[in-house]
Amino acid sequence: MRHQDSLIGVCLIAFCAFVLWLTTGFDEVPAMLSQNVPPTFFPRLVLAIIAALSAVLVLKGLRKERQRHERIERSVFVTAAIIAVAGVLLSFVGTFVTLCLVAIVLPLAWGERRKHLIGALALGVPVGVYVVFTLALGVRFPAGRLFEAML
Amino acid sequence: MALPGFEYALPVLTDPFVIGLIVVGTIAGVLVGALPGLSSSMAVALLLPFSLYLDPIPAIALLSALYCAGTFGGSITAILINAPGAPPAAATAFDGYPLAVKGEAGRALGISAVASASGGIFSVLVLLFAAPLLARMAYSFGPPEYFALAVFGLSMLSSISGEQPVKNLIGGCFGLLIATVGVDLTTGIERFTFGVPELYDGIHFIPVLIGLFAVTELLSQAQILGQEKISVTVSAVKLPSWADFKRVKNSILRSSAIGTFIGVLPAEGSTMAAMIGYNEAKRWSDKPEEFGTGSIEGIAGPEAANNAATGGSMVPTLALGIPGSATAAVILGGLQVQGLRPGPYLFEEQPGLLYGIFFAMLLSNLLFLGVGLIGAKVFSRISLVPATLLWPTVFALCFVGAYGLEQSLIDVWVMLAAGLIGFGLKRYGFSPAPIIMGLVLGGLVETSLAQSMIIFDQQWTGFLERPISLVFFALALISVLNAPVRGFIRRRRSR
Repeated sequence: MRHQDSLIGVCLIAFCAFVLWLTTGFDEVPAMLSQNVPPTFFPRLVLAIIAALSAVLVLKGLRKERQRHERIERSVFVTAAIIAVAGVLLSFVGTFVTLCLVAIVLPLAWGERRKHLIGALALGVPVGVYVVFTLALGVRFPAGRLFEAML
Repeated sequence: MALPGFEYALPVLTDPFVIGLIVVGTIAGVLVGALPGLSSSMAVALLLPFSLYLDPIPAIALLSALYCAGTFGGSITAILINAPGAPPAAATAFDGYPLAVKGEAGRALGISAVASASGGIFSVLVLLFAAPLLARMAYSFGPPEYFALAVFGLSMLSSISGEQPVKNLIGGCFGLLIATVGVDLTTGIERFTFGVPELYDGIHFIPVLIGLFAVTELLSQAQILGQEKISVTVSAVKLPSWADFKRVKNSILRSSAIGTFIGVLPAEGSTMAAMIGYNEAKRWSDKPEEFGTGSIEGIAGPEAANNAATGGSMVPTLALGIPGSATAAVILGGLQVQGLRPGPYLFEEQPGLLYGIFFAMLLSNLLFLGVGLIGAKVFSRISLVPATLLWPTVFALCFVGAYGLEQSLIDVWVMLAAGLIGFGLKRYGFSPAPIIMGLVLGGLVETSLAQSMIIFDQQWTGFLERPISLVFFALALISVLNAPVRGFIRRRRSR
């Protein structure tokens, strides 16, 4: 079995090919600006370098034994799901409710069972953000479609 | 002899608000450094969006103080729970923890504080003298020289973590590629925007930074949940005795010089400085056999070196606009977001800002010596804050930081995506630091290349007529080929 670097290198070369194809869709440069370096030049140069380095990675990987990685724990997937759902929730229920929910769900998912600490965190995080950032620094956070519809 | 630029820094040093921020930055830095998983890079990244509400001088003074103190703070957990608060403190754990286990945690922390402060102060003094000289040299640089210099800076990524040179270079190029998203400034053509108006200005630096450093770490912490941290009891933390000081003084001096030099090299940061500082302390020691069992030289060597690298790394960052380390890249990004372009002209136009930063770093190094000696006992308890409570708070800061600057939800999504991608990349040996370096340098590299090509009438050979460019290209080539050539020679010898 070959080292994962070979597979990573192949994936990177495929990625470069895909992005290179994307560069073919850039608009034409107006004639009056055509003496400048074209907008495709630099991305393509960088892609060529990444592809060349990826080829080196493939070759080096072929010479190495496969490396065993420790299994990704369930808690990582749960955490990733929580933060992704939080990103979606932001548009609907707004910042403070989302932060409050994250402050409850994330510690629970990580095994915290002390209710008073979770409660303090769920209250403290959104209130802290509101006081420091909204009141003191004037940052306006999204209220969320749900609350905007209600107001 | 008076310190250069003192007159420029005086208004900064007599401003109670700035002094207060430096004190806050120093204490916060030590605290953050003492929390496993929270590095000074991440702390500076998280604080950066909020610092933009301040004027440039207090903002950058705050970030610089956090950088210096955070590097020291990592040693507290390295010594007390054998878990370096940040990668630069990894070498400190080799001897710090064994000494703490012997019941001498206070002595280990004292040595660490003194060595860190000495290394930091030494490097800031070098910064005070070297940065203006380097900036003066850079006056003659045009776009071709800046392009070659940036290429050299990126090539140094191949050596920041010796085992993965190719992956570091790919990471740096990936950062350059991300920097091309948005409207091309010379032609007005959209690139990789997919019709999303928020991407016309490009992918903002801060959300990527927070995602790669903080969200990636959040997921990494989820992977190691439940690992028990066993803390060593700390008695009073004390200054090294005269006998201890005599024993470590050469290690401190040597490591301060090594750390400063390594810090000055583009892209090389505190972690490598600490490792070399440790190895050199062992090589020159009268008692090398004690290393690994609680040698005080084994604590002083890496600690002086990693803090010396902080001042060293600010030399190319401020004088040339080429970051000397990952954290310096974040600070450089902060300067750019503030509308400032580090380089020789900044010395001419804003000496107060630059000397303010230098003296803020000097002050921070003096402050954390006191904070470290007095507060290490308290900080050692903070290191045991449960991850279940710490990381939801960090996530809230990530969200607020990513959203706050442009007040755009797209930035929050960019941050989350960067975090998820960063975790995947980290798992397969890609470090976030090179991507950040590439992203920060992207604008400079592309613009200077485009300007050079116009100067050379689209002829690449024009670079051959620029001696300074040629020197940087040669250095870049040496830096990229260094690892494979050494590997080849090693393989030939072992046959």
